[in-house]
Amino acid sequence: MNLLLTDEEKMLRHTAREFLEAECPTTLVRAMETDPLGYPPALWRKTAELGWQGMALPETYGGQDLPLVYLGIIMQEVGRAVAPLPLLGTVVAALTIASDATPAQREAILPGVVRGDTVLTWAFTEQDPRFRPDTVQTRAVVDGDHLVINGTKLFVDHFTAADHCLVACRTAAGSGHAGLSLVLVDTKAPGISTTPLVTLAKDKQCAVVFDDVRVPRANVIGRLGEGGPIVERMLDRATVLLCAQMLGATRKDAEMAIDYSKYRVAFGQPIGALQSIQHICADMIVWIDGGELLTYEALWKMDQGLPAGIEVSQAKAFCNEKCEAVVRFSQMIHGGIGFMMEFDLHLWFRRVSAWAMRLGTSYEHRARIAHALIDSPGTVVLGRPVPVVVAV
Amino acid sequence: MDFGFTPEQEALRREVRDFIAEHLTAEIVEELEGLTEGFGVSRSVGRGPLVSRLFDEIAKRGWLGISYPKEYGGQDGDRITQYIVEEEFARVGIAVGLAGSGAPAILAAGTEEQKRAFIPKLISGEYSFALGFTEPQAGADLASLQCRAVRDGDDYVINGQKMYTSAAHTATHVYLMARTDTAVPKHQGISIFLVPMDTPGLTVRPLWTIQNEPRAPLGTTYGAYRTNETFFDDVRVPKTTLLGKENEGWGVGSMGLNLDRVGAARYLISVRRDEDIVNWVKTNRFDGYSPADDPAIRDKIAELWIEAQVCRLMTMRSMSIVEHGGHFTYEGAAEKIWAPEHGVRTSEAITQMLGPYGQLLNGSPYAVEKGIFAHNLMGAFQSGINHGSVQVMRDQVARRGLGLPSARRAGRPEAGR
Ligand SMILES: Cc1cc2nc3c(=O)[nH]c(=O)nc-3n(C[C@H](O)[C@H](O)[C@H](O)COP(=O)(O)OP(=O)(O)OC[C@H]3O[C@@H](n4cnc5c(N)ncnc54)[C@H](O)[C@@H]3O)c2cc1C
Repeated sequence: MNLLLTDEEKMLRHTAREFLEAECPTTLVRAMETDPLGYPPALWRKTAELGWQGMALPETYGGQDLPLVYLGIIMQEVGRAVAPLPLLGTVVAALTIASDATPAQREAILPGVVRGDTVLTWAFTEQDPRFRPDTVQTRAVVDGDHLVINGTKLFVDHFTAADHCLVACRTAAGSGHAGLSLVLVDTKAPGISTTPLVTLAKDKQCAVVFDDVRVPRANVIGRLGEGGPIVERMLDRATVLLCAQMLGATRKDAEMAIDYSKYRVAFGQPIGALQSIQHICADMIVWIDGGELLTYEALWKMDQGLPAGIEVSQAKAFCNEKCEAVVRFSQMIHGGIGFMMEFDLHLWFRRVSAWAMRLGTSYEHRARIAHALIDSPGTVVLGRPVPVVVAV
Repeated sequence: MDFGFTPEQEALRREVRDFIAEHLTAEIVEELEGLTEGFGVSRSVGRGPLVSRLFDEIAKRGWLGISYPKEYGGQDGDRITQYIVEEEFARVGIAVGLAGSGAPAILAAGTEEQKRAFIPKLISGEYSFALGFTEPQAGADLASLQCRAVRDGDDYVINGQKMYTSAAHTATHVYLMARTDTAVPKHQGISIFLVPMDTPGLTVRPLWTIQNEPRAPLGTTYGAYRTNETFFDDVRVPKTTLLGKENEGWGVGSMGLNLDRVGAARYLISVRRDEDIVNWVKTNRFDGYSPADDPAIRDKIAELWIEAQVCRLMTMRSMSIVEHGGHFTYEGAAEKIWAPEHGVRTSEAITQMLGPYGQLLNGSPYAVEKGIFAHNLMGAFQSGINHGSVQVMRDQVARRGLGLPSARRAGRPEAGR
């Protein structure tokens, strides 16, 4: 047990931070908010050269096979720079392909991801906003050696920039996990139409309509109708990596407020000398630390092949509330200037707030934890794993 | 980052757990419940014959003073192993570890003679310290303490009063902070003395807390124990009782206090009720009502559970820092804010879940779990006051951790402790 970063982890963080500080100024972040593509391909290729896309992918496909903890460190730095990259969607889909797809499917997709030629995304949520599998209504019907997909997905990240999308569909009647399949879809396939959403983060989310979209049956990830657990693992990885990204952004946001309080003078002294401001700053850092500890424990458990669903939910429920509180306090410490478009602080405020609304609300993640704690047989013991119960 | 324990450490944890299951008999629990000392009964303050015998068994297994050098009676083990053993015993109210103020400070600042005289006996439980820091006019602002120690030949003569000297009635020594120079800034005139409790001129008067009548059940945060006022009237001690150099007691004391703020016992007293309430909710029904089905209770329980994990992880982080030879900049203070405040939040939330049952104290008809939740509501708060209050800890995070400036207002205490 050692919760401190190893020298190698520190080096990785340092390199990533230096790289993004040089390559991803806030002018670029702002430019991408109005850019139709929404990400800078040149930067994307450079991150591939640094090995980010393939960091946790198998060596067979050109990846580095490093632990998810390392990827967490990268996501934190991406969040810190609020870098407009389709990295989260790409790595989450790629990791799912690496763990659950056939060798042929992996061979077809992963080398391109590692090289930075391919952008991936995934689609789960539909009209019912709850973060649970029963909400999936999109149907995929077998027709010979094809599937025909009909339905609408909402809040899909970078769909228009992506080459492929992993789409959660219902291939058999059922609720919850029953009858779910995860299908790899070419984003340019006939029958697909998209509508961009205007979001708080000014990122590239859209609504995607599938109208008789034909996909080869060979594109199903795992077995037809048995994709529930695959989807759950995918969402868990997505959620915990989003936590890392949120925490990176939140820490940077807090640091800006702390710095600002050292220089902003009121009533004859820096506002940072006032105890009411100091104690808020102390809480901000304690909360961020708490979120990081929860997040990295979840990532570490995944790396060990241990069940980590509860740890993921712990992290997201905590980050949703604490990161939001931190960025709100940071706005408060900045006074009026934080509300001004030309001042950069809102780039972090808007994104962290939006990320807190995605991939499960605090209520939903706590419901999952409560289910495991309360509806499992036997007693619970602190510090030992919570019994695993089937997802609701 | 590594959140796991080695197979050997896991095996040791199982061994300790099995030992406790086998040895912690109902008779021993009864003996423990009759004691009036702080959280974590150690051998020296255990007194009872069964607890003493239990400690012999613990000592036989090499579970006392694990991380201390062999030459001073320890096991030359690592801090993480010690933490595991401490954690398992802390769950049942037994302290096998040593507080930061005491053995670690002597190891760091003591003379060879002091190390040999104290550490083996602290480990074996023959000696124990009461902490003589707080005074009537010096609490959170500890450095303004007035208790005087004046050099007289080869002796010091001590005069003054200490408040809330817990365990002073059972301890063999008091780990005393006293003023040795009044002419210098307050932090620079303080020294630490290791004073035998049986020194003439030293008297102890009990202070009973709001937990004593009825007695808080075993395991309550700041449960049924007695604290004291301690008076020093011309207490004459040899100069060999001075720990570290004269007037350098603040640094020695801070180091020990930092360690007192972290670790297994402190974290567990703040989170044990989370476990209890989950298990209570799982098993209790009232006519047609099942608290387990109440969505508000379920949401709150999950929230508390998450917070408890943060307490555990912050403790593990502190232990990682200690084990790998680092120093706390703000991490110990962070743990000392988060865990005690969680303890308060959880006590309040749980009593809301229990509604009117939440009021019932130990011994009352219908009391839930011997009234521990009501008692905990009274006691949890104290964890955020002592050993550096949460306000002082926030000052430390802000100023030492984040580099925020000190205010210009006059008479403002520094974030030193
Ligand atoms: C059960 C119990 C056992 C104890 N055991 C011991 C023991 O064994 N040995 C020992 O030496 N002491 C012991 N103490 C004393 C304990 O450490 C003190 O109570 C503590 O240091 C606070 O001091 P105080 O009670 O004088 O409160 P005060 O110092 O008067 O503080 C009152 C309030 O003011 C706040 N405050 C103080 N300074 C600041 C600041 N700079 N900014 C903002 N707020 C501030 C505090 O946080 C607190 O909320 C014990 C106390 C209790 C209750």
